[in-house]
Amino acid sequence: MAALTPEGPMAQLTPPAVAAGPVSGPGRRRRIRVWRGAILAIAAVYFLVPLIASFTFTVKAPEQDFSLDAYGQIFTTEGFGQSLLLSIGLGVATIAVVLLLTLPAMLAVRLRVPKMKPIMEIVCTLPLVVPPITFVAGINTVLQFGPDYLASTPFYQTIFAIQDENFPVVLVLAYVILALPFVYRSLDAGLGAIDVRTLVEAARNLGASWPHLIFRVIVPNLRSSLASASFLTLALVLGEFTIASLLHFQTFPVWIYTISGSQAQVSVAVSVFSLLITWLLLLVLSSAGARQRSGS
Amino acid sequence: MSAPSAVRTASASGGRRTKSKSWLATVPLLAFVALIFGVPLVIILGGTFKRDGAFSAANITESVQGAYLTAMIGSVKLSALVAVVGALLGTFLAQAVVTSRFRLLREAVLTASGVLSNFGGIPLAFAWIATLGNSGVITKALGLDSAGWSLYNFWGLALVYLYFSIPLMVVVVVPALDGLRQQWREAAQNNGANTWQYWRHVGIPVLTPTLLGGVVLLFGGAFAAYATAAAMVGGTVPLVTLQIANALSGNVLIGHENVALALSLDMIIIAGLVMAVYLPLQRRSARWLR
Amino acid sequence: MNGAKVELRGLRRNFSGTAALDGLDLTIESGELIALLGPSGCGKTTALRCVAGFEQPDEGTVLVDGKDITRVPANKRDAGMVFQSYSLFPNLNIRDNVAFGLRVRKVPAAKRHARAQELLELIGLPHIGGRFPHQLSGGQQQRVALARALALEPRVLLLDEPLSALDAKVRVSLREEIRRLQLSLGITTIFVTHDQEEALSMADRVAVLRAGRLEQVADPATLYDRPATPFVAEFVGTMNRVPGRIDGNQVAVLGQTLPVDGDLPGTPDVDVLIRPEAVRLTPDAEAEGMVLVSSFRGSTAQLRVQLGDIEVLADVPGHDSVRLAPGTRVRIELVERPVLVSASSGATAASAKTPVPEHDVV
Repeated sequence: MAALTPEGPMAQLTPPAVAAGPVSGPGRRRRIRVWRGAILAIAAVYFLVPLIASFTFTVKAPEQDFSLDAYGQIFTTEGFGQSLLLSIGLGVATIAVVLLLTLPAMLAVRLRVPKMKPIMEIVCTLPLVVPPITFVAGINTVLQFGPDYLASTPFYQTIFAIQDENFPVVLVLAYVILALPFVYRSLDAGLGAIDVRTLVEAARNLGASWPHLIFRVIVPNLRSSLASASFLTLALVLGEFTIASLLHFQTFPVWIYTISGSQAQVSVAVSVFSLLITWLLLLVLSSAGARQRSGS
Repeated sequence: MSAPSAVRTASASGGRRTKSKSWLATVPLLAFVALIFGVPLVIILGGTFKRDGAFSAANITESVQGAYLTAMIGSVKLSALVAVVGALLGTFLAQAVVTSRFRLLREAVLTASGVLSNFGGIPLAFAWIATLGNSGVITKALGLDSAGWSLYNFWGLALVYLYFSIPLMVVVVVPALDGLRQQWREAAQNNGANTWQYWRHVGIPVLTPTLLGGVVLLFGGAFAAYATAAAMVGGTVPLVTLQIANALSGNVLIGHENVALALSLDMIIIAGLVMAVYLPLQRRSARWLR
Repeated sequence: MNGAKVELRGLRRNFSGTAALDGLDLTIESGELIALLGPSGCGKTTALRCVAGFEQPDEGTVLVDGKDITRVPANKRDAGMVFQSYSLFPNLNIRDNVAFGLRVRKVPAAKRHARAQELLELIGLPHIGGRFPHQLSGGQQQRVALARALALEPRVLLLDEPLSALDAKVRVSLREEIRRLQLSLGITTIFVTHDQEEALSMADRVAVLRAGRLEQVADPATLYDRPATPFVAEFVGTMNRVPGRIDGNQVAVLGQTLPVDGDLPGTPDVDVLIRPEAVRLTPDAEAEGMVLVSSFRGSTAQLRVQLGDIEVLADVPGHDSVRLAPGTRVRIELVERPVLVSASSGATAASAKTPVPEHDVV
């Protein structure tokens, strides 16, 4: 009886199908259900068929029996480990740089200089307007023509250093820019959800030092939004093809593309595999987020 | 970082001190963006108007003519188609999920949408090639190849782009559909409105900013997409991203290298115009659906 | 605008096994303001929504002026409704919100706006027609919602806890205003609330609901003075439960013997229900009672008195609170009048579940 709050039973128990129309006769309700079922069925076909078909494609070549060989071959194919490690390394470096740049800036803006918020918002949203292909066109031009202008300065060396094939720093720099809008939005939502000002004032009032405050008070409270920012960045870096391929670096997606010509089955297997990994990461992330929500 | 001292003085005096140096914490970020993002943009702008070492509008003129113009129109057409169709289908799917009684279905669709909206690039292309490509599983199973089916054209690309666009629309529109309060519907009925009149006067107007925002987002995503198209169609469908990549790889007349920059500038202008529509819309819908 | 007579006959409604309405019978006379009062989940909102048409009863009928409207769709009914909160359309300005029903009926714009202006003047907000809902305070929003509900000149007005989301002060002024409007329009009004003070101060009659059934319907004074059941007695106003023992038609309590009103429970050991204002206190250093807490309320003071292992609430005139300060020993005396009794609270589950609201006694 206690659960039956006046608005409770309406909100929870009234089937939304009824809410969909004032005349909730049985015929109408059935029509809505049929309509909804049809949409969901079509969506299921459209979204599941490519996944199932891809999997089928990887396990059963024409005139052959079922075999998981394609998945085994992933690991033995030339360049797999190297490119995957490179992409993961780039991802980790990008996460570190982007968080180091944004977190202090956003905290300062929120706590001390709210006037700068519109500037931050514009700066962090701009990269959305610039398609990666145009960005890489600009970067490519800088890398090509930079040395001519900078030949006599120390920057000359830098231009070459950041293009090291083993760890192209230039990709990290570019990916930080690409990730900026997502990281900004995620952190902004996180900072909005906790009352940072009160938290900081309470902690300062209790005598906490600034490093202590940031790592023991703010970061734990931002855990889920930091996690989602990191995840989005990692997903972005692991899937990014445009910039890496046009600057001729062998990252994971570029590798998949390279092998597709000779080993179609393996390249599709890697595609399926990478989707599964993304899915897994997102599940871990959302369950971590849910745990935090129920904890607080 | 000088924030500590600033906080101490401010909280001690209880007021705002203009001497605060906290803004310094934003300098690394702003400097980074200016250097890594700003310099290439300036180069694009500068390079666009330079040919043979002299100021010239030749690049920009060339970028809106002939094959380049065709590619630009192709990109805009494809993006607009994907944006409108994706927004419509995404909204219907979201509505079907939101009004469903099964919480599990809702959770599953939302999680799947979150993943699939990020599922672009090379893997997406290969998944579809394996499904409906010339030797794809479904193509073979249904004998589509003998019926003249090909995935590697404009419509095939649209079909594949919808695969990440529809889920993106679901992610965008579900919060807005949740924000439609039951009281509005009931108040409308109470004032004599039927279902259609409720949607016509309240539901659709309230959703409009979100829907338009979703269209813009989908347009931007399809417009900027390169990897999927590169892996699927190579050069057979004229798209501006493919043209830029082509020009960057040196497939241009000697001395016309900067056409790639001019094309980039065209793209940035179109994407910028589209985004300029998006931001005010988003602000308005946030106010209504609070 | 004349009010219609509304009859609820044997309404039943189940929500996945829980009965929200369990055979509710209630007649609301033409032009009357009736308050549906009860704790959360008593079915009062469900009953209102059955009248509005948002809810279909599983059994029973709703009659308006003798006409069965149970199956009439919500948008064809002649009843205006004000919701708890946030029911204004966010995309329409106030004028268009108020005139929404007229727009749906394709009334020309000029006429629509004139009518909206008329209603805005009626609710005392003539200058806000061009504003949007998010620019108004909660109280203003509810007034506008009231104007919108009245725009089509309905013959029944339905109010679903319209004041519960507002500040205490706004709540009081708005409820007076609603009552004034209702009386001047003569519109039959059903007002759902869980706040007994609101119900007692506004309504012609108050219907107390419990678990989907009607417990008692009466005018406020009768309800307070002569509650039909212990549930009503405790839900409306504050009640002391003091152990007593039945002796024939009388009950022995705190050393006094009082006549019993209403039904007798089966057991001799009972709880006697006594209003705080029926408890008299006299300072007496030898007495067993002692004042624990005193809360001064101006004209009266409510004292919590310890007596052995029970505590008793007593309302005394405000000026007495000085000589009855906490720590004072007092003698307790009950006003000689018939009292209600109920089975001992330790023995019955029902009374333990019943929330006793800590409201001021009106």
